[in-house]
Amino acid sequence: MQDNLLTEQSARINIYALISRIMMNEVDEKLLELIINDENILSFFPEFFKWDKRQGMSNKDLIEQYLNVDFTNLFLLHMIPYESFYRREDQQMETGGDNPVQTLYNSFDFRVELDEARVMAADHIGVELEFMYKLCESESKALVDGEYKIAGEIAEIEYNFLKNHILEWAPIFLLNMKSEAGTALYHDAADLALEFILSDFEYLSQLKENSFSYEKLGRKNNGH
Amino acid sequence: MDIKDLNELRGEFEELQKRSMESACVDDSCRIEEENREDYPDYIIAMYKEVMPPVKSGIYFSRWDLKAMAAEIGESFSLDVRERMFKNFMQWVASPDDMTLVINEFKKHIDMKCNLYRDYAYRYPSSKSIFDDKIKKADATKRYLDKVYVEFFT
Repeated sequence: MQDNLLTEQSARINIYALISRIMMNEVDEKLLELIINDENILSFFPEFFKWDKRQGMSNKDLIEQYLNVDFTNLFLLHMIPYESFYRREDQQMETGGDNPVQTLYNSFDFRVELDEARVMAADHIGVELEFMYKLCESESKALVDGEYKIAGEIAEIEYNFLKNHILEWAPIFLLNMKSEAGTALYHDAADLALEFILSDFEYLSQLKENSFSYEKLGRKNNGH
Repeated sequence: MDIKDLNELRGEFEELQKRSMESACVDDSCRIEEENREDYPDYIIAMYKEVMPPVKSGIYFSRWDLKAMAAEIGESFSLDVRERMFKNFMQWVASPDDMTLVINEFKKHIDMKCNLYRDYAYRYPSSKSIFDDKIKKADATKRYLDKVYVEFFT
């Protein structure tokens, strides 16, 4: 059970890291090379794989002429990637300390450097996905240490954060991002993020049904 | 994160979630129902306050959405601040027939989004209640659009 669990956990960590990074800042050459040169990662971007503009253009030109423009349109100019906008009746962003997500991060000692991340508030989609990434890392560490109870408790926090925050608004944003993206990369990134958070919630819901016990879940799945 | 403090943090998390839910008004007690909506002096304010907020309609009408909806009825608006684009779109309405066209575009857009929500809810059943809640709000918003028409254009 341990090997499968750790493999699955490693995949979750990597995907949260990838989608968080893509949503937070412009793509740079290092990230683009990682996506292009890793078959597994590239398989998450089927339209980008086929994208004609990718052929015959350097990564630098691709970034400067297309990807950065699209990132600016999607995350800075035309759409609003902040939870509070989707949860408040006045359609405003909560940029101050009263942001409930910021309060939540504080309780877990999760520090968000807004300037460094170049976001206006802690409830930016990239930051929320990074929080999930950090939680998955902690869960993985507990699993490696054989601390299954603690790992299960962290998984419960992940379940609650997805249910009460990310899933309440990110699908709405990501559906718009998918339809409004001007490049295959961001179209695929929206699709990947949407499908992944929903499938991860399926996994965490199964774990919840088994009282966040990996052993119970493993027995049930093996039984099937 | 200090793992030793996890139980304490968990308690704090639950308390924060409770407070967060109360402040974000996501529980059943404050669900949007059309009969609870406020009265507004004109249809532009009514639409902006009751239809445009995703938390009330379950739908995000982005700037591109507004532009595309306007294009469907033969109008063209430049991309601008979302609120200003919405007002330009609404100020284009000069007759009850125009308003019917606008409302139909909003309803078409809502239906398109709700079909996507149903598809994802079907494929990911654990998220069904989250999507169902948005569909319920969207259906109430469609009824509210009819009410706006009756109230301000008949």
